[in-house]
Amino acid sequence: MDTQLMPILVVALLAVPLIGATAAALLGGRRIAAVRWVSLGATLFAAIIAIVLAWGFARTQAQEPETPLAAGQVATFRPFFVPGADSDHATTWELVRVGGSAGGASIRFFVGIDGLNIWLVVLTAVLMVSAVLVSWTAIRERANEFYAWLLALQTAMTGVFLAFDVVLFYVFFELTLVPLFFLIGMWGGSQRRYAARKFFVYTLAGSLLTLLGILGVVLACYWSTDELTFSIPRLVEVVGQRMALDSAPEQVSWQNIQFWVFLAMAAGFAVKVPLVPFHTWLPLAHVEAPTAGSVLLAGVLLKVGAYGFLRLCLPLAPWASGVIGMPLVGTLAAIGIVYGAFCALSQSDMKKLVAYSSVSHLGFCMLGMFSLNREGLSGSLLQMVNHGLSTGALFLLVGMLYERYHTRALRDYGGLAARLGLLACFMVFFCLTSVGLPGLNGFVGEILVLAGAFQSQVTRGEWPTMAVVASSGIVLGAWYLFRLLREVFFGSLREPSVQGTRESHPPVRDLTARELGALIPIAGLCLLLGVVPQILLDSIRRDVDVVVRAVESGRATDPGRSMVRLRGMPMPVNKEEGR
Amino acid sequence: MNETNVAAVIASIRFLAPEAILGVAACLLFLGGTIVHDRRIWGSVALAALGLAGVAFVAAGAPPAVSTAGQLSWDPLAWWFRTVALSGGAVLVLMSWSELSDAHAADYHACLLVAVMGVSLTGAASDLVTLFLALELISIPTYVLLYLPRHDAAAQEAALKYFLLSMFSSALLLFGFSYLYGLASSTNLSAVWKALVETRMTPIHSRVSSAPLALLAVVMVTAGLSFRIAAVPFHFYASDVYQGAPTPAAALLAFLTKAGGFAGLIRVFGFAAPATVAAAQSGELPVLLWILSAVTMTLGNVLALLQSNLKRLLAYSSVAHAGYMLIGLAVASQAGAGSALHPSGLAAVLFYLVAYGAMTLGVFGVLSYLGSSGRPVEAEDDLGGLSRTHPVIALLMALFLLSLIGIPLTAGFWGKLFLLWGALATRGERAFLFRCLAVIAALNAAVGGWYYLRILARMFLHNAVKPLPRPHAWPGLVAIWLCAVLTLVPGLYPAWLLRCAERATRSDTEPQSTDRRGEQQAEIPQEAMPRRGG
Repeated sequence: MDTQLMPILVVALLAVPLIGATAAALLGGRRIAAVRWVSLGATLFAAIIAIVLAWGFARTQAQEPETPLAAGQVATFRPFFVPGADSDHATTWELVRVGGSAGGASIRFFVGIDGLNIWLVVLTAVLMVSAVLVSWTAIRERANEFYAWLLALQTAMTGVFLAFDVVLFYVFFELTLVPLFFLIGMWGGSQRRYAARKFFVYTLAGSLLTLLGILGVVLACYWSTDELTFSIPRLVEVVGQRMALDSAPEQVSWQNIQFWVFLAMAAGFAVKVPLVPFHTWLPLAHVEAPTAGSVLLAGVLLKVGAYGFLRLCLPLAPWASGVIGMPLVGTLAAIGIVYGAFCALSQSDMKKLVAYSSVSHLGFCMLGMFSLNREGLSGSLLQMVNHGLSTGALFLLVGMLYERYHTRALRDYGGLAARLGLLACFMVFFCLTSVGLPGLNGFVGEILVLAGAFQSQVTRGEWPTMAVVASSGIVLGAWYLFRLLREVFFGSLREPSVQGTRESHPPVRDLTARELGALIPIAGLCLLLGVVPQILLDSIRRDVDVVVRAVESGRATDPGRSMVRLRGMPMPVNKEEGR
Repeated sequence: MNETNVAAVIASIRFLAPEAILGVAACLLFLGGTIVHDRRIWGSVALAALGLAGVAFVAAGAPPAVSTAGQLSWDPLAWWFRTVALSGGAVLVLMSWSELSDAHAADYHACLLVAVMGVSLTGAASDLVTLFLALELISIPTYVLLYLPRHDAAAQEAALKYFLLSMFSSALLLFGFSYLYGLASSTNLSAVWKALVETRMTPIHSRVSSAPLALLAVVMVTAGLSFRIAAVPFHFYASDVYQGAPTPAAALLAFLTKAGGFAGLIRVFGFAAPATVAAAQSGELPVLLWILSAVTMTLGNVLALLQSNLKRLLAYSSVAHAGYMLIGLAVASQAGAGSALHPSGLAAVLFYLVAYGAMTLGVFGVLSYLGSSGRPVEAEDDLGGLSRTHPVIALLMALFLLSLIGIPLTAGFWGKLFLLWGALATRGERAFLFRCLAVIAALNAAVGGWYYLRILARMFLHNAVKPLPRPHAWPGLVAIWLCAVLTLVPGLYPAWLLRCAERATRSDTEPQSTDRRGEQQAEIPQEAMPRRGG
């Protein structure tokens, strides 16, 4: 039953939001209630599909025997539940054929589930339900268009995670821009137009370079093996095989290619993550976006960048990831952690505070990822999900507060715990998950990331500077989040005066059932991942291993011949002796 | 003219039927226009002529063997450009339908048909004289078209400016052609290519070398044709002329003239000819086209950023897109049409030309549909709040703009992808240059995003300052929808259009010209052959 049904569900996961979007758009601006219910139905349906897929995936992983690799074989991603699959975990659905009739290849509609994407898909589906619920009363104007764009965004985001074809990945990656442009630009705050355009163009500039990098990898693989392919698993395999070859000119030319390819691909993802010098679009876009937009931006779209690093940069440019990625991205990530935290500390606007906290937290993800070992990578992936849940929830809560009082300035509030007990409870809970309280999800992720970072630097014989700097980020994180809690929810009660008609500003009440519905699933997941992170860590183990092995194969190539040699790398002579 | 040429001409008459129909229809319109003044009648006649030409085109079938000996060669490339010209012409007729006054309709449509004929013939020309005449067939009606529907100062300035510069470019082109003739002592293009190959064979410093002559010819011809595709530094006319001209005429300049220019470039340098010929030419031409391309797209995009008038903006955007397409030609001139990795640069250009036509004509179509003589759509503010006042039109316009940016699911995305692919797939000594060109193009596309988004933002994120009236002209709407389909369908499923474009580039690989190929292969040195690997 599984083999038949699951691929259909994968397609449905992409199709259901799209159908919902079309339905919402066609229902028209007058039937707001119908539009809301259609959107909620679509997102709930998608969430159920995602959970079924996760369950099915976990089961196949448990059944799958661990097959040791034969000699010369290279570990690669193995997507499950591929629609239109042939025997080899690849799809037969073609989009365009390139490369001539003989020896050509096709850009394919290649989607599937593996350990790296399944949890991000679930995260997207869960956050979407909350995003629809939180917009329920906040969006009144042109509601049908709002929900249509929101659901279209879900298809694009899910597509990025599911794609196993490089060009398809890029297609979905770019497609996330359009709905978000409209969501920010039409329903955002006062600077929304500028924010929307800045966000779009920044990301576009980066992602076009990513496209060049992607095409570069495909061509490099073609030139060295005469095999043209756009499938990510196959490309990973080819790169791994070429890196394993023991021929000097081959390796030098591959290193040369990887250097450029890594920089090109990283350009787009670094903007999206964002790494520190490229982050200036983020506070603006997050603050100006409507609540649902902020939730998805922080919760899912930043992960798209990190996921791009994980899925494409590391396995397709393993050597460059070690040699330039580790010092470059690692340093930027460490700077980002501290810089983001200090920025968050000095904000007077709640939403901006949470936005800058994202810069800091994504620094943890990237630091873990570029420690390039099992702990760091698992922690990074876990931290991506954690950050999506906790920061998504924080944006939800700030949005709910804003809906009640129409201000986000910290100084307008005080002692709200007495007034809005439930809201305060959730705020404290999510701040604690974000800070990394043991027993909640943030803790596990941060520990793994820091352990990975320490290990990676120590084994290279360096001082673990990055890990130490990053650790200070945890303290700073506690500082700014507790500052938020103290100023807004504790102390003497200080409520902003609500002016206006009774119609537009109803009396302030605590959380409604709808808002609870948006928050409880997220809180439940936070608790679940905090108590038994093993369910996530088990299911991602195989594919994280693939990335680790790919990167190790890159590191195994002799650094003495490389153009770039770095402090702390073993000298070539030592290496030869060691063998 | 020897016997075989005469036979070839006679044999090709059947294939000339579509152009003949257009020519006859144009004469009919010129004559009839003096008696009856009704734009509906003459619009229908023009459409019918285009339709009839299309039928004749299909009915003639494929020629048994492609001959390059005559004035025209009916190879797949010619068929591609004819299809492009006929469909572009149909869209333009629909677009200008209600823009015209009854008095001018017949003349206007007649000129349009002649220009369509010119593009189609340029795509088929295999002789310098035919090529020049075909290009003039595009230019001369354009002068009339620019001036005909409007008589204000701006239109006069536009027409005069275009006229003078076009004359200048024709002179440059003729000058270059005369040198080519001097080299080849024949006006036949395959003889010209052969002469160019021989030029490269002789050592440059020898006294008898004609290399400087060939270089001069190549530069002059490129310059003359650059004017038609509005490449920098021959773009100066574009902004003023687009602004001053009536919208459909500007659309014609943006598409038909540009298509004619590209057809001319492809023909005269033999990009679609066997790989050996193109590769043997890869001396200065790729560098020339590289510089032209980089400068054109960069300047076009930067200048477009500064515009607030929509038509001026579109003028610079069309300059920028000419730059993108020149990437493909530069790649084709470097690697030859027989590059191992399809889509080749040339196929990418052909694909992009259709994508560009659909999206640019779409944007012009929207502007002309929304505007009226009393209330032309000129400034960006005029489009403010369009998504509320005209939701469907706004969505279609958004589609065209996103395609111009190069967002997936539109034809523009795949066009850019194939062009970049060609640039990255180039190998050999100049590979690095072409990678740089790809990076320049990528950054340019991002810059382009900024000003297209400005229009998009104006339509969707701002409120109407003074709402536009709701037009009722259905032909304009049909034109927009046609463009939308042509943007969206290749965007969703590019395989078919790409396959057609690739077929069009394989002009001379059929066994028709075995005699010519035999002698050429003997002459071409090993280094000039396209290499793969290494």
